[in-house]
Formats: sequence, C-alpha cells, structure tokens
Amino acid sequence: MKKRVLKIVLYIVLAVVGVITVLPFVWMILSSFKTNEEISALHQTLIPQNFTLENYTSLQSNFNFLRYFGNSILVAVIVTVLVVYISCLCGFVLSKYEFKGKNLIFGFVMLTMMIPWSVTIISRYTMFMKAGLQDTYLSLILPVMVSGFGIFMMKQDISSLPDELLEAARIDGANEFRIFHQIVLPMSKNSISAIAIFQFLWIWEDYLWPYLMIDDEKKQLLAVGLTMFNGRYSTDYGGLFAATVISIVPVIIVYTIFQKRFVAGATAGSVKG
Amino acid sequence: MLKKRRPLQSKSEIVLRNIVVIFLVVYMLIFLVVPVVIAFAGSFHIWNPLNGTYKWAGLDNYIRMFQYPTFWLSMRNTVVFCAVVVFFRVVLGLALAYAISSKLMKHKTFFRTIFYMPTVTPLVAVAYVWKIMYNPQFGLVNHLFGFDINWLYDSKFALVAVMVMTIWKDFGYAVILFMSGLISIPTDYYEASNIDGANAWQTFRYITLPLLKPTMVFVVITSLISYLQAYVPVMVMTEGGPGTSTFLSSYLVYDQAFVKYNFGFASAIAFFILIFTVILTIFSFKLTGETSPRKKVR
Amino acid sequence: MWRKVTAICLAVSMMVLTCACGKSGTVTYKGETDTNPDKGLEVMGDHVTYDPNHLVNDGDPIELDWWLWDAPDLFGSIAEEYEKIHPNVTIHIINNPWDGFWTKLPLALQKGEDGPTLFNVHNSYQHLLLNYMEPYDIDIQDLEEDFFTAKSHEIDGKIYYMDFGIMTGAIYYNKDMWAAAGLTEEDIPKTWDEFREVAKKLTIMEDGKMVQAGFNFNGDFENLMQGVPYQYGDTIFDETGTVPRLTQEGQIETAQMFLDFYEKDHVGDKDFGTDAAQSFGQGQSAMVYRWGHFYGYMETNYPDINYGTFEIPTATEDPFAYDRYNGESTPGINKNATPEQKEVAQDFIRFYLANQEKQKELCMNYSLFPSNNALRDDKDLLKNPAIQAVSEHIDNYIWPGAMPATLGDNLKIACQDMMYNNTPVEEALQNAEDIVKVDLSNQEFVASENLYYRYSEHQ
Repeated sequence: MKKRVLKIVLYIVLAVVGVITVLPFVWMILSSFKTNEEISALHQTLIPQNFTLENYTSLQSNFNFLRYFGNSILVAVIVTVLVVYISCLCGFVLSKYEFKGKNLIFGFVMLTMMIPWSVTIISRYTMFMKAGLQDTYLSLILPVMVSGFGIFMMKQDISSLPDELLEAARIDGANEFRIFHQIVLPMSKNSISAIAIFQFLWIWEDYLWPYLMIDDEKKQLLAVGLTMFNGRYSTDYGGLFAATVISIVPVIIVYTIFQKRFVAGATAGSVKG
Repeated sequence: MLKKRRPLQSKSEIVLRNIVVIFLVVYMLIFLVVPVVIAFAGSFHIWNPLNGTYKWAGLDNYIRMFQYPTFWLSMRNTVVFCAVVVFFRVVLGLALAYAISSKLMKHKTFFRTIFYMPTVTPLVAVAYVWKIMYNPQFGLVNHLFGFDINWLYDSKFALVAVMVMTIWKDFGYAVILFMSGLISIPTDYYEASNIDGANAWQTFRYITLPLLKPTMVFVVITSLISYLQAYVPVMVMTEGGPGTSTFLSSYLVYDQAFVKYNFGFASAIAFFILIFTVILTIFSFKLTGETSPRKKVR
Repeated sequence: MWRKVTAICLAVSMMVLTCACGKSGTVTYKGETDTNPDKGLEVMGDHVTYDPNHLVNDGDPIELDWWLWDAPDLFGSIAEEYEKIHPNVTIHIINNPWDGFWTKLPLALQKGEDGPTLFNVHNSYQHLLLNYMEPYDIDIQDLEEDFFTAKSHEIDGKIYYMDFGIMTGAIYYNKDMWAAAGLTEEDIPKTWDEFREVAKKLTIMEDGKMVQAGFNFNGDFENLMQGVPYQYGDTIFDETGTVPRLTQEGQIETAQMFLDFYEKDHVGDKDFGTDAAQSFGQGQSAMVYRWGHFYGYMETNYPDINYGTFEIPTATEDPFAYDRYNGESTPGINKNATPEQKEVAQDFIRFYLANQEKQKELCMNYSLFPSNNALRDDKDLLKNPAIQAVSEHIDNYIWPGAMPATLGDNLKIACQDMMYNNTPVEEALQNAEDIVKVDLSNQEFVASENLYYRYSEHQ
C-alpha cells in the first residue's frame, strides 16, 4: 500500500516537472507550423490556427540545408569519437599512474575549460590561418579534440575502478594497451555514453568558430546556416523554429543510442565494485 | 588513506605514459599557453586585433576595471547566478535522476528523454518562447501564477527570470550524469542495506550519496566552471538590462570584446575571472577531493 | 594498438597534406574572354557617369567575391547586370549571417588577396574596416553633385564608401484607432505638446488598467534620445567632434519629456508590453516612433494593421534639426586585392553609383530615402509611407558620423536605468557620458555633425 502511494506521488511529481520541462519546447515545435503573423500575434495559442508547412518547405531555399546537415554530422561524429578515445586514454593515465607532474598536467587540462574564448579566439584564428588550415575540417577538429570535461570525467570514473583488477591482468601478462582496451574501456561505458552525448551536442551547436574558419559554402556547418534566420533588423522565427526542430533530431538520435547504455547497465547490475 | 601505488614498471606503462604526457604537453602549449599569453599581453594594451590597433597602456585596463561600477555589479551577479543555478542544477538533477532510477518507476526512457529535451534545444530558438512567457501583458508566467510583473525589465526580477530559464535549460545535464553515476552503484549495496533494515532516506544518505561523490564532485566543479563563463542566457534574454542589472562578468567580457572592440579591457576582465575560477576550483577540489569515500566503502 | 595509433597519425597527416595541396597551384579564372569594347549601350548617370562601351581587365576572364549579409538576390541582380555588359567578369555573391559578420569580415580582409574584393559596409563598423579599404576612383565633386550625403563620408579628401539611401525615424499611427478616437487628418501633431494631447485621446483605460496605449516607446527610448535633442540645438559632440556631451539641457529636457509621457500623462506604460513595435503590430498601441525598416517589419509580421505615418513632432516651430539619420552604405573595395580585381571593382562601383534604377530598387527594399538626387522626387518611392513621412524636411536631419556601438549601447543602458530603475535623469546620462568618453578616447572617431548646413546655429 505504502509503495503504491509512493509510486503515484512519484509519477505525479515527474509528470508535473515533465510538463513544465517540455512546454517551451513543444511550443517551439508547434510554432514551427505557424505563419510569422501568428507567431507574433497577441493571442498566443499552443496549437497553430492556420497550419502551414511553408517554414519547412522553404528551408532548402535559404541555404543548402541538407549539405550543411551532412557536414555537421561528419564533423560531430569525428570529434565525438576522438574526444571519447583521447579522454579515456588520458583519464586512465592520469588516474591510475603515479608520476611526477601528474597534478600539474591535470591542472592544465582543467584550465582548458576555464579559458574565456572571447579573448583567445582571434589569436587562435591567426595561428590557424598561418598554419594554412583555413577552410579545412581539421581546423574545427583540432581545437576541441582534447576536452577538459571528458578527461576530468574519465579520470573520476576510472579512478574508482579497483586497482586489483588491473593488477590481476598485469600478472596475467597483459600489457597496458591491452588492459586499457579490454578492461578499462568496456567498464567505462556509462561515462563514455555521457561524454558522447554532450560532446556531440556541443559540436553540433558551436557557431562562431566554424563561421570564422570555413569560407567555402560547400563545407559550411548547420549551426552557421541556422543563424541566417537571425537577420539584422528582424528574425524569421518560423524558419528558425523549423530549422531548429530538424537540426535537433540527430542530437536526440545520438542521445537515444547512448542512453540505452544506462538501461543496460541497470538491468545487468554493475560489474564494478 | 591512499596506499602509495607501485611505481611504473613495465615498458608498456612507460610508453603509454609518455605518449599521453607528450601529447598533452604539446597540445596545451599550442592551444592553451600561446593564446593565453597573447591575451595576457593584450590586457596591457589598447588592443583591437580586427583593425590592428595595439598600443601600450600599462595597467590602465586593470585600473579601469577596478573603477568600473558595472564590473563589480557583474561580479556580484555572477556569484549569485552561479550559486543559485549550480545549486538547483545539482539538487534537481539528483532528485530527478534518483526518482527515475527508482525501482517503482516504469517508462524510464520516456522521462529521461523528456528531461533531456531542453538541453538539446539551441538557446536562440527557445529564448523567443521564454520571452513570450515572461511578457508582462500576455505572458504565460503571469497568467498561470497570477503575478503582475514585468519579469525581464524589472531589476528585482530580471536576474531571477534569467536564472529560472537557465535552470530549465540545463538541469538535464545533471540528470544524465547522475543517472550514469547511479547505474554504476552495484545492487548488492542496496540489498545489504535492505537486510540491515535501513529506510529509504537512510539508504540514500548513507549508501547512495557517498557512492555518488565522484559524480557529485564532477557535476559541481564543471557546472561552476561553465557558469562562471556563461553569457549566452543573458545575451539572448536581457542583453544585460534593464540598465546594467543583469550583467554577468562573462557577458561583460563578450560585450567589451565583440561589441565595443576593447579587447585589451576585455582581456583584463577575463584574467580576473580566470583567476577567480581557478581559486574556486582548487577550493572545491580541496573541499571534496581529499577523502575518497568509495575507497572507504570498499 | 600501435597499428591504431599509426593509422590515426597517418589519417591526420593525410588530411593536412590534402589541405595543403588544395591551396597551392596557379590561379586560373573561369569565364569567357570579352573582345568587343563597343557594346552599343548608352552612358548612364548624371554627374557620376558610367560608359559601358569599354573592356575591363582587357577582356580577360576575372572573378571576384562580394560579401553581403542580406538581400543576395537584389545585390546579385546588380552584379548580373554588370556581368551582362562585361561577360569576362564573374562576381560571386557570398551571403553571410549577420551574427559575427563584423568579426569574420575584418579577419578575412587581413588575408589580403584571399579576402573578398567587394564587401558591403555598415558605417558603425567603419573603424574596423577603413584600414583595409581602397578609396573610390571617382571625382569627389561628381559624387557630391549626385549624392547629397556624399560629403559626410569624405575622409582626408577621399571617399571609401557612401550612402545609397538614408533612414530615420517617424511616427507610425494606427488609422483605425485614430478614427475611433474622433481624430482626423487635421489633428496630425506638429509639436510634442500637440502630440501629447493626441496621445491622451488615443489612450484607453478600463478599470484603471491600460488596454490601449496612446504612444508606446518601449525599446525605442535610446533612439529618440539620439535624435530629439537636436531639436533643441544640442549636438552630441563638441566642436572638435571627439568629445561626447550627453548631459546638456536639451538632452535632459528630452529625457524628462518622454518619461513624463508615461509617468504624468499616462499615455503609455513601461510595463505595457516590452517592445513597442510588437505592441503596435498587435493592435495594442496607437502610435510608435520607429525607423524606416518598420515598413518591412509590418509587412511580414502584421500585414492587417491599417496604419499611416507622419513626421516626428518638434520642440519648437523651426527646430535646429528634426532627428538623426543613418545611411545604408555602398560597397567597399579591398585595397589588398590584385590590381586586376581592383580595376574591375572600381569599374563596378562606378556602374553601381550611376545605376539609378538599381538604387531605387534598393531604397524600395529597405524603405530608404534615396541619397541620389535624381531619385528625390520619385513617385514610387514616395508612395512608401516610411519614406514619405521624412521626405519634406530630409535636409534638416543630421548624421552624427560613423559612431562606434559604444554610444548607442550606453545610451540604451541610461534609458533603461531612467525608465525601469528610477535612476535620476542627470545621473544616468552622466554615467553614459563618462563611459563613452573613455571608449572613444581609444578610437580615432571624429563626428560629422559640423557638416550640417545649419551647424553654426547650434548652442
């Protein structure tokens, strides 16, 4: 009985928070089917009064939506894979090895998260120009492939792996690379999922850096295209909403793929401890 | 507490360590040290890299910073903003993650996805929806709660309004991380506590919370760092207004650099924030990192 | 593992190599060769003339980039017309997002030849661009004969860019509300006192709550503050054109007048909506002060509102000036482009400035009063209510100069402080003045107010 009440209360609370959470979001989705006239009308309604698909059909005419979309996916996937791998490797060494200067290096890793981009972005731009990296995806990948967030997270996660497990493998004659790939990586799936989810999102949303680095329209990313709706005097909200709705689909797909990990982890119990 | 780990022995350990160390050092030199040194030098100049202005200014930028009323106001706002938003992000995130992973719950995937929605939505797009909701004339917030407040244009409420929006946008981050942390807690711990007759609160307080500590440290510190640099919420909601009442330090940096083109002045403020961030981070680590509860449990 | 690392390293170095290779190689231009200098076309323009009957770049193929942030089709049609005359020239229109454009453009121009040859300019970013610009190779006298605002863009006897049209503020009123309040054409106010009375009639309260504002300037206060003080004879800058003065009598009086509209006369309210433009479109406010682009805004968002315009009211019968104006600029030329590209760009600019038809289209598109004297009385342009309202006294509007953002931004802060935070008028304006002074002292800004034909009359 007590459990039942608790369950109902839990559901109600989650439902209320859930509604509050999705309301602005649903509002945006439904607004993408409204005309601009309706979006800025005095009497706001959740459901479109004059349902229109025009915001979606005109997307491709504004810029090469599909192409930008594909470019963004390519860059986001490469960066996410690199970040995950590099974060795990660095996190492993920084948490399980003892050596001089370890804390100093970790301190610098943390610093990368604290650097205010507004005052460094232009000198970074100049550096990349001199290196001849303009208009290349390398210029978008290099500055983000080491993520303070990712390394910090993996360091936290891997440090809670029992040393005995690694020790046992070492006694069995496994070298460190093998230990890393066959023990550490598989046991960090939850954290890897979390990194992947966020890293993909961050790259997906990043605007100014790709805008500065990429001149070639064929190589441009979606986040840059999206700001086309934000004009000097006014914003085309219908178009912006429609493009936003489509642009977050991949992020949600990535999310659903990786969040399955969490479910799997829950049912299988944990291997750790 | 920590037993000294054995020194590195095998060749592969040394190789792996060297790869990582060399990689990180080289990377940091190029992508961290060089731009930071350039910016630091810039903070002593009247600097605009866009048109090539670079004039020695000595300590002028720093002196101006300390005399600039908006700077102190923005620092105060930043501290309030960070404290409130981090607090709610952690509490809400933990509570929701705990609720979702409760054995009583079904439809876990559904709720998880819902709570992640705001996090994936670009702020520029939803900001418009929020502005409509905060509208004093026909906004949903006033209608729903019976207020008569001009949320974004009243200096008593504008920062609150921005903070509420930010919490809405970002708590999904903490939910995901805490979920991932909760999943990693072996079920045997709970079984043991059940046998001992611990109630739900005791289980949470003495089993879950200590075991979540690494995640907690991570969420708090990364949130702190990222909110000390947050400026987009202010940019899209209030542009610092009304007057200067919602200026955050990082918005001030952005505004000085990319609107006023005072890159030197912006750098000076940025370094102040950087030092502030470093101190806070070290402090948080010291506060939480000395003892490792997981080791204790084990 | 080693295999993986090597593979990654290889992949990365391959990428670097491909990129490096992609950049080298000699420049070859696409397009046909033009051999016929005699096009049989007429000479265009009045004083600035363009004779199409010649070859550019000796008729050899050449390409150039033209960067914009808006209206690629419209600007593109100018390029197309030019390409038709000179088939050896290809002009690539590159449309960029406005957000970040003023970071991207100066950085691109730092690349010299690799930057765009032509780029649209906004005068408030002149301080970022001037270093990279080539002056127009056109006689200044001719430019000044044709374009009445050309003189204000003269820098050390040269012109680097100028206006094709100018924009300023006017009062937009809702005709239905006007009629409902029993007002007629006769009631259109000339002075702020008359305006106040009209606004009172247009305000509707129900149970002590405002349901219709007579005049709403939420979000427009700082624009009013930059223009209306001219009516009192106050200029924003002192005689040297470098020191901002925001605390003169006229400015304080102006600020007080608008605050009183809300606080004493209650013809509007700071909490009655957050944005006057939106409120007007939603049929909540009877009058607003907006700039010319409001015409386009209403057309896209609120096509059903029946509205008219009239000139901004004044403080006195014969004001020193009516308001501030600002220009929309002609393109700039990259001084580090190749000589061939620059030659074509100069030729194109001449074509652009002599092409009255295209300038008219541009002015129509942006609701601008044309800078070209030949278009002054153009009937089509005057049909646009935004242009019509300002046309009568257009010579009595002042351009303060290519002001950096700091002035407008700090005035905005001051206005919000006065309106929402109850900061006393003098204090708010003094704060703004102090900050703007420091910001401008770091830049080489000189105001153009002294070019106004009645400047000597100012206080």
